[in-house]
Amino acid sequence: MRTAIVGIGWSGFRPSVPELSFTEMMYEAAVRAYEDAGVDARRDVDVFVSCQEDFWEGIAINDEFAPDPVGGVMRPTVTVAGDGLQCVGQAYMMIRSGLAELVAVEAHGKPSDVKTLQEIYELALDPQLRALKPGNPFFLAGLDAVAYMRRSGARREHFALVAVKNRRRGLRNPRASHAASIELKAVLNARPAIYPLTRHEIAGFTDAAISVVMASEQKARELRSEPIWLEGIWWSTEVGSGSVEWHEWGSMPSARLAAKEAYRQAGLKDPRRQTDFAEVEDRFSFMELLFLEELGMAPEGAHKLLESGYFDAEGSYPVNPSGGSLSLGTSFEATGLMRLLEAVLQLRGEAGGVQLRGAERAVVASWRGVPSYTSAVAVLGR
Amino acid sequence: MNRRGGRGELLHVEGSMEADKYVYPPGVLGSEAAKALAEGKLTGIRCGEKLIVPPRPYCPDHSKGELVEVRGPWIVESFTIVYEDMYGNMLETPQVIAVLRHEDAEGSIVHFLKAEKPRVGMRTRPVFKSPEERNGTLGDILYFEPAEQASKK
Repeated sequence: MRTAIVGIGWSGFRPSVPELSFTEMMYEAAVRAYEDAGVDARRDVDVFVSCQEDFWEGIAINDEFAPDPVGGVMRPTVTVAGDGLQCVGQAYMMIRSGLAELVAVEAHGKPSDVKTLQEIYELALDPQLRALKPGNPFFLAGLDAVAYMRRSGARREHFALVAVKNRRRGLRNPRASHAASIELKAVLNARPAIYPLTRHEIAGFTDAAISVVMASEQKARELRSEPIWLEGIWWSTEVGSGSVEWHEWGSMPSARLAAKEAYRQAGLKDPRRQTDFAEVEDRFSFMELLFLEELGMAPEGAHKLLESGYFDAEGSYPVNPSGGSLSLGTSFEATGLMRLLEAVLQLRGEAGGVQLRGAERAVVASWRGVPSYTSAVAVLGR
Repeated sequence: MNRRGGRGELLHVEGSMEADKYVYPPGVLGSEAAKALAEGKLTGIRCGEKLIVPPRPYCPDHSKGELVEVRGPWIVESFTIVYEDMYGNMLETPQVIAVLRHEDAEGSIVHFLKAEKPRVGMRTRPVFKSPEERNGTLGDILYFEPAEQASKK
């Protein structure tokens, strides 16, 4: 029995959406997804799943705010503290188990509402580490970047090249509010932010809400002539935020395991040959290369393939044809669904200015961001 | 009226989260490790053949471990330099932060590194606060410094 994505909707995608509350953004994304799927949420959806985290909304027990905006009042609603792709995994299990035929998934993020963003990030660190006041919680990404350079032989120039590729590509994507026309030299010569990265290599924040409607094979065929199939999805956590000391530096074992299992579900042996493009983690430039290696996409060395244009939109295997997080920004727990949204639109042929030709299968891979060591990987097909 | 609301029509309610007062109990083994730290000693746990640093309440295989003192040298596995905060403000002094690993141990310590030219593979040692200033936290260590430099002093 297969599982499909039959509807998708979004709201926001700007650095700041001051006119809407986060619940209104959830509502807007949800009604668009239900309209896209052709379903009545109050009648047809069996279970609702929401990925969120109290501190991002500034509200304790925020899961009580989840059901109403998405149509889940007096219906089974599940909230998960994790990235939106993890919620897609929950929905996949519900459908595969036969418990539900139609599941609605949502995730949202409104970083512009959080006036003390750094302090909230610091609260996610182990209290001992937090007390050291490291100056910027993103230092953890710097530690991974240097270890990755050491391990792979990639240089700062390669990381900057990712930023140029993704920021420029986003200029064609109306959702990419952090896209920029930028040259390699400008990235490399910019004021350093967190060695070895300059600020152009660190994704900005975006207010966004995304809803996805998922269905069993039978239901999907009733609703759409060409649904997008979710062929595999897996996620894992390496070490928690409370024990960064145990992280395998310069690597992402959580993504490696998630990819292995998602490929197994999808029956993929050679992911780069058997899929047409990938939307992958790039909230820090070097992460795109690190993830491509963990995803088994670059046995030759990701930076060498990048140099040759292999991962360009016009290249042999387009990576982040949407512009990625460097162009779209990140939106707390909605970031994984931002990548999923771009991949679904691409496979449907609805990607507008960033449309690739003949894309039939894609890999979507997302990390939960600093200071987490959780990743999720999905395989989608037409 | 526009659904979106025009300039000056939007209301934003300001608030703050009252979440700044907590106690974080280090646990039984953590308390022992904290006492050792206040005495200027770094510790780990012995789990069979393995030495795990920093100490944790249980071994990776979920068995109980034994707290042991761990002496250096501490080798730089990775490092970074933080120049600006998340809001884009330059820090007064860039902060060098390193992953410091003991040769025989699994796991590592994340702390400040005071070195003119930080590099992976550098051997370092911790520099502690004076005994009366210590309180059994990671902050009892001011920073790590190159071990060679220390021996020249």
